[in-house]
Amino acid sequence: MPDPCPQRIFDRRDIRRFRNRSRNDFARYDFLVQNSAQSLSDRLCDIRRQFDTAAIDGPCPFTHPSIRRSYHIGENAPCDIVADNEVLPFAGHSLNLFASILTLHTANDLPGALVQIRRSLTPDGLFLAALFGGETLFELRDAMTRAELATRGGVSPRVFPFADKQQMGSLLQRAGFALPVVDSDLITVTYRDLRALMHDLRGMGQSNAIAARDRRNPGKALFTEAERIYRKAHADEDGRLRATFEIIYLIGWAPHESQQKPLRPGSATARLADALGTNEHNVPTRRRPTQHS
Amino acid sequence: MTQDVDPKLLEILVCPLTKVPLRYDRAAQELISDQAGLAYPIRDGIPIMLVDEARKLEDREVRK
Repeated sequence: MPDPCPQRIFDRRDIRRFRNRSRNDFARYDFLVQNSAQSLSDRLCDIRRQFDTAAIDGPCPFTHPSIRRSYHIGENAPCDIVADNEVLPFAGHSLNLFASILTLHTANDLPGALVQIRRSLTPDGLFLAALFGGETLFELRDAMTRAELATRGGVSPRVFPFADKQQMGSLLQRAGFALPVVDSDLITVTYRDLRALMHDLRGMGQSNAIAARDRRNPGKALFTEAERIYRKAHADEDGRLRATFEIIYLIGWAPHESQQKPLRPGSATARLADALGTNEHNVPTRRRPTQHS
Repeated sequence: MTQDVDPKLLEILVCPLTKVPLRYDRAAQELISDQAGLAYPIRDGIPIMLVDEARKLEDREVRK
């Protein structure tokens, strides 16, 4: 089978493996998923619309309490399916809601994943997502990079390359979503030590799944040095290590003619000056500054 | 004991590779994509729509 995405950042098998490994104990580490699912749920409450065919892409089964609590799932028993969000198994125009909870940051081809989601939506269908953004774990990235340079004379990717919030709006538009909205939250969690942070990340199923990662045993020296740097640069006054998680929230709609659209430039039929009850003044053309070569 | 898949779910599921509708083999608990030559397993009523967990179909199994 040809690889659908030749430039793979993430090893998707590892991602599934780490997720499965964390499944049994997930409720102990699901605070970020809970938090994001709740935020998405709040946004959903603001939209007065019934969604009868919805897909929720989450790091744990749909029936898991983490998701169930936030979405007030009632009589309509949901169905779980296992799927890869890089190759979605939904027919075109089959869903009116697609919500993704902290999974899209591991897509190798994020624009492609967004296009597939948009295609699976009916016209005027809604896409909601929470994903980790570029600020996430910047302290860990900094400490690991500097420690690795110091102890091994080179660096290897140890923290996921997260998407930048600034790019998400245009990515949504490129994927064909109308009325895109992007915002974000910064959540700072403090940890006793580096080990506790690593333990939490593992519990969330977010261990390093970068395809090109250094798979050798990192050795103790690297972590001792990383912890020293981390504590020096990114600790609270009481000595606890700060870890930032940036959660980007996306909203987009599959296009439909009922949606509001900007008018063509020059198509206005009323003058702004009349609406404001003021006079219109021409702006004097500014002379170019003389250039000295 | 086999758990049946919700018929509404079967309506919206397609083969993730070819995006064509799937054939439901109730006895084998598989969702079959003739075009891709793959059978996606259903475990405890949960369709596993992963290409690397799908079973490759024998030639005689494929319906044209």
